[in-house]
Amino acid sequence: MLRGFKPLWGKKPGLRSSYDAVIIGGGLHSLATAYYLAKEQGMRDVAVLEKRFIGFGGAGRNTAIVRANQRTQENVPLYKEALDLWPVLTRELDYNLMFNNCGNLNLMHSEAAMNAARMNVCTAQFHGIESHLLDARQVKEIEPTINISPDITYPVHGAMFHPPGGVVRHDAVVWGLAKGAARHGVHIHQQTEATAIQSDGARITGVDTSRGRIRTPRVLVSAGGYSAGIINKMLGLKLPISVLTIQAMVTQPLKPVLNHVVSSGMYHAYANQTLKGEIATGAHMDPWPNYTTLTTAHYIKHQAEALSEFLPFLRGVKFMRHWAGLADMTPDMAPIIDGNDPLEGFYMNCGWGYFGFKSCTATGRHMAAFMAKGECPERLKPFGLRRYEKHRLMGETAALVTYTPDN
Amino acid sequence: MALTITCPVCGKRNGYEFRYGGEDKGPRPAEEGLTPRSWCDYAHMNACVAGVQKEWWCHKNGCGAWFAIHRNTLTNLEVDGPEVTS
Repeated sequence: MLRGFKPLWGKKPGLRSSYDAVIIGGGLHSLATAYYLAKEQGMRDVAVLEKRFIGFGGAGRNTAIVRANQRTQENVPLYKEALDLWPVLTRELDYNLMFNNCGNLNLMHSEAAMNAARMNVCTAQFHGIESHLLDARQVKEIEPTINISPDITYPVHGAMFHPPGGVVRHDAVVWGLAKGAARHGVHIHQQTEATAIQSDGARITGVDTSRGRIRTPRVLVSAGGYSAGIINKMLGLKLPISVLTIQAMVTQPLKPVLNHVVSSGMYHAYANQTLKGEIATGAHMDPWPNYTTLTTAHYIKHQAEALSEFLPFLRGVKFMRHWAGLADMTPDMAPIIDGNDPLEGFYMNCGWGYFGFKSCTATGRHMAAFMAKGECPERLKPFGLRRYEKHRLMGETAALVTYTPDN
Repeated sequence: MALTITCPVCGKRNGYEFRYGGEDKGPRPAEEGLTPRSWCDYAHMNACVAGVQKEWWCHKNGCGAWFAIHRNTLTNLEVDGPEVTS
């Protein structure tokens, strides 16, 4: 059955002694950047360095939810672009990304929360994104399994409904982008660890790897939760990031029962039914930085309690599998995207917290333009590192699920 | 792995009783000559060490004491002191 099997991204390439651009990290932001560098910016010599295997980190550990109903005017358009790209990329990559735009239903549990949701909805509508408010009765109509009775810990007052969002198969995005990037000549080096970044004090000159030295004028660190540690270790540049383990799980498979991605800030849980029938659910973050990617009994108990209140059909349903990944959280819940500072040719794309999946395609596309032209595209300008020393933090913490690095 | 932390007053307790207070960054910088940059470094910037780091904790749901410990962020275990590098 496996006769003639070869990876979608071709045979293992040899490591060249020089590349036009080197990308550290083999996750979705890296693969998307590499894909667009080769496809749209005409850069043919691009290397992606992955210490383990592509999709091992956050790319394969997130809960696959996509949406564009964030809080601030700087962030929302980027997520909208990303949301609009899923069907485009499915065709372009000739690979089924299994985009299921079932819609996101964000439950509100107080009148104050409904007012906050009203502001979020206004921001979305201003940017041409479908998003509206529902009262509890309307919530029950479109999602009959939700418990809207007043006798639970946090009764449901209503919801923010975002129909164009949904779920994308995250592994398919990894494989599709890797396939597309390789087809355009990108070298994807797995089991290749970047060990040092070389510079002449003013500009980037190369990258040392576990398989030898590479000369390059451009390096992008885009390694998800590991980025901040790598940047500090290799360049001595500290970032306003805290790396926390974030946990998720799935139940045993059920017949179709849940129509939307349902989330609740108060219960601190979200749930959606996968195409296999499992209820994928998550949200808990360890309240202290760590790189363990381990799950905890504390969280499993919390999740069971939360879900059995607002989705009571899950009472008695068993959790089948649980896992965890890393979230690199910034104080303002917005990413850090910067380049040519402090070294010419050094780029970084990190600090996505738990929004890295839904933003990967659009960010990779702009990042590719940034690296090819050397000038920051307008869309990415608000995310520069220096906003912190200017005390120009963004207002994303005012989004509905408020979970910051300080909890 | 579940975290336990040793409070100087209450002894070894469940980590969820405590609030993480950030990486140890030394003393607060003096007001005199303070620039936005140096304040930003102190307020926001982290080393994000994958290994042993010195960090602040508050026994929030206990005696309320603030104290510093060493912890290995790769194993989530409290350790006696800074990592010995050969």
